[in-house]
Amino acid sequence: MSLDKSKAKRLVELVLAQASFGDLRVHITSSQRGHLRFGAGRPTTAGDVDGVTVAVTASKDGRTATVTGGRTDEAAVSLLVQRAEGLAGLSPLDPEHMPPLSSSRPPSVKAEDSAVVKLRPAKRADLVGRAIRRAEADKVSTAGILQHEHVSEVVGNRAGLFVHHTRTQVSLSATCRTEDGTGSARSGYVSHALAGLLPERLVGDAAERATRSQLPMRRDPGRYPVILAPQAVADLLAFLVDGLDARPADEGRSAFSRAGGGTRVGERMFDERVRLWSDPADKTNPSLPFDHEGRAHEKVSWVEGGELRALHNSRYWADQKRLEDLPKPSSLHMDGGTDELEALIAGFDRGVLISRLWYTRMLDPQRLLITGLTRDGTFWIDKGKIAEPIRNFRFNDSPLSVLAKLVALGKPQRAGLSSGRVMVVPPLVVAEFELASVSDAV
Amino acid sequence: MWLASARAGAAPPKGARRPAPASTAPLDEASGRALVQSPVASDADLARRAVQAAVKAGASYADARLVLLRSETVSVRNDRARPVRLRERYGLGIRVVADGGWGFVAIQSLSERAVIDAAERAVASARVQGKLTAELGQPLVQLAATPTVQGKWVTPHELDPFDVAPIDKAQLLLEVCAAVRKVPGVSFAEASFEAVSEDKILVTSEGSEVHQILFRVEPSLTATAVDGRRGGFASCTHDAPGMLAGWEYLRDLQLLGEAERLGHQAVRKLHAGRVKPGHKHVVLAPSNLWLTIHESIGHPTELDRALGLEADFAGTSFMKPDQTGSLQVGSPGVHLVADRTQPGGLATVGWDDEAVAAGAWDLVRDGVLVGWQTTRDQAHFIGETASRGCCYAEGHDGVPFQRMPNVSLQPGPEGYTTEDLINATEDGVYITGRGSWSIDQQRHNFQFSGQTFWEIKRGRLTRPLRDVAYQANTVEFWSSCDMIGGKGTYRLHGTFGDGKGQPMQSNAVSHGCPPARFMANVLDTSGDPS
Repeated sequence: MSLDKSKAKRLVELVLAQASFGDLRVHITSSQRGHLRFGAGRPTTAGDVDGVTVAVTASKDGRTATVTGGRTDEAAVSLLVQRAEGLAGLSPLDPEHMPPLSSSRPPSVKAEDSAVVKLRPAKRADLVGRAIRRAEADKVSTAGILQHEHVSEVVGNRAGLFVHHTRTQVSLSATCRTEDGTGSARSGYVSHALAGLLPERLVGDAAERATRSQLPMRRDPGRYPVILAPQAVADLLAFLVDGLDARPADEGRSAFSRAGGGTRVGERMFDERVRLWSDPADKTNPSLPFDHEGRAHEKVSWVEGGELRALHNSRYWADQKRLEDLPKPSSLHMDGGTDELEALIAGFDRGVLISRLWYTRMLDPQRLLITGLTRDGTFWIDKGKIAEPIRNFRFNDSPLSVLAKLVALGKPQRAGLSSGRVMVVPPLVVAEFELASVSDAV
Repeated sequence: MWLASARAGAAPPKGARRPAPASTAPLDEASGRALVQSPVASDADLARRAVQAAVKAGASYADARLVLLRSETVSVRNDRARPVRLRERYGLGIRVVADGGWGFVAIQSLSERAVIDAAERAVASARVQGKLTAELGQPLVQLAATPTVQGKWVTPHELDPFDVAPIDKAQLLLEVCAAVRKVPGVSFAEASFEAVSEDKILVTSEGSEVHQILFRVEPSLTATAVDGRRGGFASCTHDAPGMLAGWEYLRDLQLLGEAERLGHQAVRKLHAGRVKPGHKHVVLAPSNLWLTIHESIGHPTELDRALGLEADFAGTSFMKPDQTGSLQVGSPGVHLVADRTQPGGLATVGWDDEAVAAGAWDLVRDGVLVGWQTTRDQAHFIGETASRGCCYAEGHDGVPFQRMPNVSLQPGPEGYTTEDLINATEDGVYITGRGSWSIDQQRHNFQFSGQTFWEIKRGRLTRPLRDVAYQANTVEFWSSCDMIGGKGTYRLHGTFGDGKGQPMQSNAVSHGCPPARFMANVLDTSGDPS
């Protein structure tokens, strides 16, 4: 079901009209999603899913409940509202409940591409068929997925809030593995627009790197200078975004807590070239303009000149601490230079090139220490050239340390395998990175 | 006292029993009531209609699943309740084979016209996939035969967890958090109850029709101690696992009685010492070892991974089908069983999402790889004629594919206790609870942490530690397993959130095990160079 602004408005009004509570919010997501998977050189599963979720949050006298259903007819939404209000009555007091937002002014974000809206099984098969054939021509096996979605999202409440947004997203990821099983690489594309998706180029790139990564040599674990490709940077910085939460920082439970109390906002924590910001209205890489409560995402500078400038917060915490209302961002951009990855390699004396990271997990939130593995192309660089492929490593290191030990920054680009939050980050040369043990995985 | 409480992990829920694999098995009162009250049953005709429409449109096979997935979360933080969340997803997913390709369409708007349209769209999509597969010269979909079944099965339970008012659940959680925070030094306590109900009807074009209702419940309790003056904190999470069970499991857990102990654990961890790193023994409690089993044995014995079908995201496997019967994965005492009939097991069902009856089989016997997890379209790749019944989809809108059954390490015949394992260890670390976990895409190199750590010296627990992880290679790790606890030490743990696939789906799965002893690289993850 497509939910344009006028239909969305009518549906929100229909839900709100059923309410007896003064404090009632509805968040509706309507979507058409499709995919075609492939593996071992053939299509595997395909799916088309039409869905809608209606989440009603009812609150009265400090008691709040959220009930989510999947129907939009009047009888169903009436029942949903009754259940939310009934469940709220059976719920405990929530002292942190905030009064409803009466208005929100999210930026205007254009993120809908008609070519993605029109994607059907035949076009999917064409794109995937081209990817598989390119892999065959390059003598590698391939596995991956083409996904597309058309999503409308709306939040409204009885205090007058109404925000609406429609977006598309299309993505293709493909892993290529060499026939001897010793080489592997992955490439990905993700965007609101279809026009930039070139399956042959994407698979050709992965096939070339997979072939280059064949028969990796073993290097001892240790602390090495590294080049992190943009996807590896995005994989690490995802933890930083989550960590930039004001409340645990204030409560002494975060890497951004100051010893003795308070947060580290205002402290120079990173290399002075580090600038991290978010902007939902970025024309090339648009992202969600509001969150599930309808709070607007604005252009925000989180780190400027290496100094921590802001932490995101809940409405409750912003109110308690008299902070600017800053929801967790829907995008993260990091400034960089003009050099492509190849130019960074050329200027790098000796160390490890890391294409991407895998199975990353928090080891210690106090220092934002992360563990994980390198994957899909790890190379030894010597005197500005890729000298040889090397086996993967497990790493134990922190994005805080990476941003403090920068040597050089390359040209930012969209991380094609990060399909949740929009991540636009540069490749980085880092003075040292802890590669703790060797992995035999390819 | 500490050891005794560590051993008193959660037992299988009361009332648990083997699932009934046939429709003639009698249902107890609670199960009968759940089936009578099921809102899904009244839509069964729509599922049948969808299958008929798919066959009429040219499908050589079709199955339709009506799934009502409900989840409720009640959570508190310190003395404050968070908003209660109740989610319901209901709809129909129709999956077909046509011209040798798979097609799938899921809808929420249920009418006869809508389900017929969905079935026709699924067939049209399958034909496109079949055509492409043929053009590429690749093998078409081939399904292993399975007996047709008509049946009903409900999780053995006393109390439907959705029948207990959230305010009563929250009250219990608030009492637990208050007890945790009474411990001096504890600054924060968080607790939650999650309940999931999966009510589903499966109809296949081969004549099978099954109705199942599965209840899963899971508690969570975490205490955090903060050293505000020097900066620093430590958290401890209770190891009570999720179970396939009703509310009675959570009611009988006695979390309140565990609260004070957990608070003391958090404070002790905050001030605990550092481990001396090195290659040494680790004695792993069931609350820690289950996840290591999941990652290092559960995932690599998934046949789709070994065939390369999951290579783009989850990865492949270091185990190969042609190594079945010969690959030495562990020491001779290591025996791992897959079991979708295990009482309390989160992956326990009557039948899978292809109407294949639940069963149990060996994956690793005497330390050797002997079996795989399969679905109907995979069995032929390893020369088997029947599926192992591992097909599952999260909700009506997930495409069914191969998911993990309960995979468990069998107790050793010596009847060792946890104390026996510790007493036999000269230099090592005893680890409980689930901490940080990470493993590579072929399941060779893993690194796991835990919740509590104790240094073992000369057969005794000597001092608490923090910031400990153990790292190993899967085959070396399991080959080093030289002591396995006896039957009395066996415990079942598990997770609601086993992610796999593209688009990612979640699977609930349990792993049982006794404590066991291994060699591993023990790491100090404190980052302190001193």
